[in-house]
Amino acid sequence: MKLTKPLERVLKTFLAHPDQPRYGYDLMQAARLPSGTLYPMLARLQDEGLVTSQWELPGDGDRDSSGRPPRKYYQLTGEGVRVARLEIAQAASRQAPAAARRTVQRSARPSPGSAQ
Amino acid sequence: MTGRLAEYLIRRACRRLPADTRDDRCREWTAEVRAILEDPGTGPAMLRSARALGYALGIWKCAHHPRLREQSARRAGVVRVARGVGIYLGILGLVAGFGLVFGMPQGPLPAILIIVLALCFDGFCLTDLARAREVRYLPKWGWALACLVQSPLGGIMYLSAGRVRS
Repeated sequence: MKLTKPLERVLKTFLAHPDQPRYGYDLMQAARLPSGTLYPMLARLQDEGLVTSQWELPGDGDRDSSGRPPRKYYQLTGEGVRVARLEIAQAASRQAPAAARRTVQRSARPSPGSAQ
Repeated sequence: MTGRLAEYLIRRACRRLPADTRDDRCREWTAEVRAILEDPGTGPAMLRSARALGYALGIWKCAHHPRLREQSARRAGVVRVARGVGIYLGILGLVAGFGLVFGMPQGPLPAILIIVLALCFDGFCLTDLARAREVRYLPKWGWALACLVQSPLGGIMYLSAGRVRS
């Protein structure tokens, strides 16, 4: 699984509350992604068994859901939580040495005027 | 008005999706549009309309996305396995036909040639397997075993069914 920036944002959004099912628009706003990016990604995560979806039950909504049709909710599976945590940790450890190297290079560069 | 336009865009987008996911997707996205339009927490009516329209436009664009257009994973898997068996039977048929027309090859040389070819193919499959980041349906060792035990068939099945194109 290649961890792109949008995918990372979606996984982090899910991991903020792993037990809470989220609907598509909620995820879009939380991860700051357009619908055209989010849904293909969710489809892929579902194919890989990392995310499950279920329809909202009638009378299940937080507000009066009597008027509108049921929404679909997405949630990480147990495997999904494990993989997401792992991927994000790996991404962090990939970035950390690179950032450290940049800092070292910058400090190691001889300042203008120093003899060397 | 905006709601109608948004729902129209979503219906158009859903028409491009495969039949087994079309209705499900259409219901999901229509419900989201209605919820965006009716949620007073989002902001004033103008803003809600703009959001709903932006949402529908995004859906309309992404209906071309291969991930959404693909049949459900299980069906695609069955198709791939069937294709693998078909390729294998086709090769068998070609070899048998060749043998019937030109006479069965005799002697040790053709046998050695066939064994060498099969070993090359196994080697190719195993290196591909070793380099792959992920495989489908079976664990890596399962595919490796299949390649080795069922010499040509296992490799063909792996290439057609188990391999994930990157």
